[in-house]
Amino acid sequence: MSQSERAAVIDAQQWEPRILTFCCNWCSYAGADGAGVARMQYPPNARVIRVMCTGRINPVFVVKGFLSGADMVMVLGCHFGDCHYLKGNYTCDMRMSYLKVYLQAIGINPERLYWDQISASEGIKFTETMRKVVAKAKALGPIANELGSHASSAQQNRDSQGILICDVHADSAQQHGPTQGISADIF
Amino acid sequence: MYYGKATDQSIQKRGECGGIITAMLIAAIEQKLIDGALVIKRGESIYDGAPYFATTREEIIEAAGSLHCAPTLSAKFIKSNLNGARDQRIAVTCKPCDARAIIELSKRNQINLENVYMIGVNCGGTMLPVKARETIRQFFEIDPDDVVKEEIAKGKLIIITKDGQHKELSIDDLEAEGYGRRTNCQRCEYNIPRMADLACGNWGVIGNDAGKATFIEVCTEKGQKILDTATLAGVITLSDAPAEGIALRRKLDGIMVKMARKAKATQFAQFEGEHKFEKLFAQFDKCNGCRACIDVCPICSCVECFTDQEFVVPKNTLPPDPMFLLTRLLHVSPSCVNCGQCEDVCPVEIPLATITHMVQSSVQGTLGYVPGQSMTDAIPLSKIAEVTA
Repeated sequence: MSQSERAAVIDAQQWEPRILTFCCNWCSYAGADGAGVARMQYPPNARVIRVMCTGRINPVFVVKGFLSGADMVMVLGCHFGDCHYLKGNYTCDMRMSYLKVYLQAIGINPERLYWDQISASEGIKFTETMRKVVAKAKALGPIANELGSHASSAQQNRDSQGILICDVHADSAQQHGPTQGISADIF
Repeated sequence: MYYGKATDQSIQKRGECGGIITAMLIAAIEQKLIDGALVIKRGESIYDGAPYFATTREEIIEAAGSLHCAPTLSAKFIKSNLNGARDQRIAVTCKPCDARAIIELSKRNQINLENVYMIGVNCGGTMLPVKARETIRQFFEIDPDDVVKEEIAKGKLIIITKDGQHKELSIDDLEAEGYGRRTNCQRCEYNIPRMADLACGNWGVIGNDAGKATFIEVCTEKGQKILDTATLAGVITLSDAPAEGIALRRKLDGIMVKMARKAKATQFAQFEGEHKFEKLFAQFDKCNGCRACIDVCPICSCVECFTDQEFVVPKNTLPPDPMFLLTRLLHVSPSCVNCGQCEDVCPVEIPLATITHMVQSSVQGTLGYVPGQSMTDAIPLSKIAEVTA
């Protein structure tokens, strides 16, 4: 089955939100790892990209994520004052607040961008956040509804480069349990 | 606040409203306050104006008078052709959008503002040359080349023909038919360039002086300096502006701002409501990736453009990936000065300035940043608030 056929089948059968997740190497990624080590269960909808600091996240990454077919983008960083690089999460916070209004202005629901702080020891918070965000993504519906005519090219994008490849990872994660951190190069 | 005019009769006649700007520029050059002045010079016709760096008395006089159908932005010209005024002192005559663009560029270290004297001129809007010719042919029913003088004043487009006829039309009526001022000018709330060093214009000039003198508001010390230089040289005469004049000027400004807010609401409405992204995308889909908008934008000053990154905008596709315009919008909109250049140059007529201004208006509150107002506000997202450990 080709990738596009496969995508069509997936879409027709049941739509599952895809959540592009940026995790800070020092806090949230370790938190996710902790959740895995403790065998906590959480929905496998996240496609995690590890960044060294949330201050590394260019707002362009988030917009590109939406256009590539992510239904929600989640940014998880350190608590204020805990940043490994002192101020990276403040930078991120500033950018996220700008991004929310920007998304609103270009017609993407700002609710689709979720920004939270999870430390390395908060595996439980990670699983809870994941459940909460998946529920929210399901309530918001597919991104294609908002992108409209662009959705077809978002679909193409998804097939040719990024997110579908992540699906393979996600499936294997489902089979082997959600213990591994899933990393994928969306771009 | 003063009324002023040139003392020299020939300059009075050649310049607009008393020729005070021409006289000031000449005095500044002759007194060695500046090395040259960046002015807009009339080209082939009144629909043609180009930035011109004048360094002598004759050159300045040649460029005297105002043009309303030649929307040229001098800010980027200073950056790219005058080395950002780093090695010479210049004066520049500017509309409010020019002044705002110059301030934005100097915040980005592209222009040395210390060497730039900004002589602001009131602006009620400009017209595109081609549109202006069409308007004159269609509504006045005369050959546009017969027009020797045009003027936008008191909400009217006024033209004077070769054989001395005066004709006028209400700008509102023209705009209702899709003609008239450029769309960004219709939305512009900055008519008096208070961010420049001097704000000059004919608004608020009443009594015997009407049409013969210029209203001058001094906004900075540099503005005072250039005015003092000209006064000491004896080339201009100043008198205090009467209170009624000041009130009238404020009233006119108020009317223009109100009109602008109305235009803003109507023009943005085309993208509002359901399926906003689709409406924007229908416009982005026309893009042919010529990058002219980047060339003219006074905010775009990065050495390496992020849209050149292959992972952001994949190469060799037509139309270019929507990320091209979305990235530009993301990067430019917090500081957009609504100069309208991008929309003017766009070969496929994407309403870029309207879209960027719309995003700018909606992010302005969150960022708490009004572009091009003062050098003291930091560029949005460039500085984080003081972190208290």
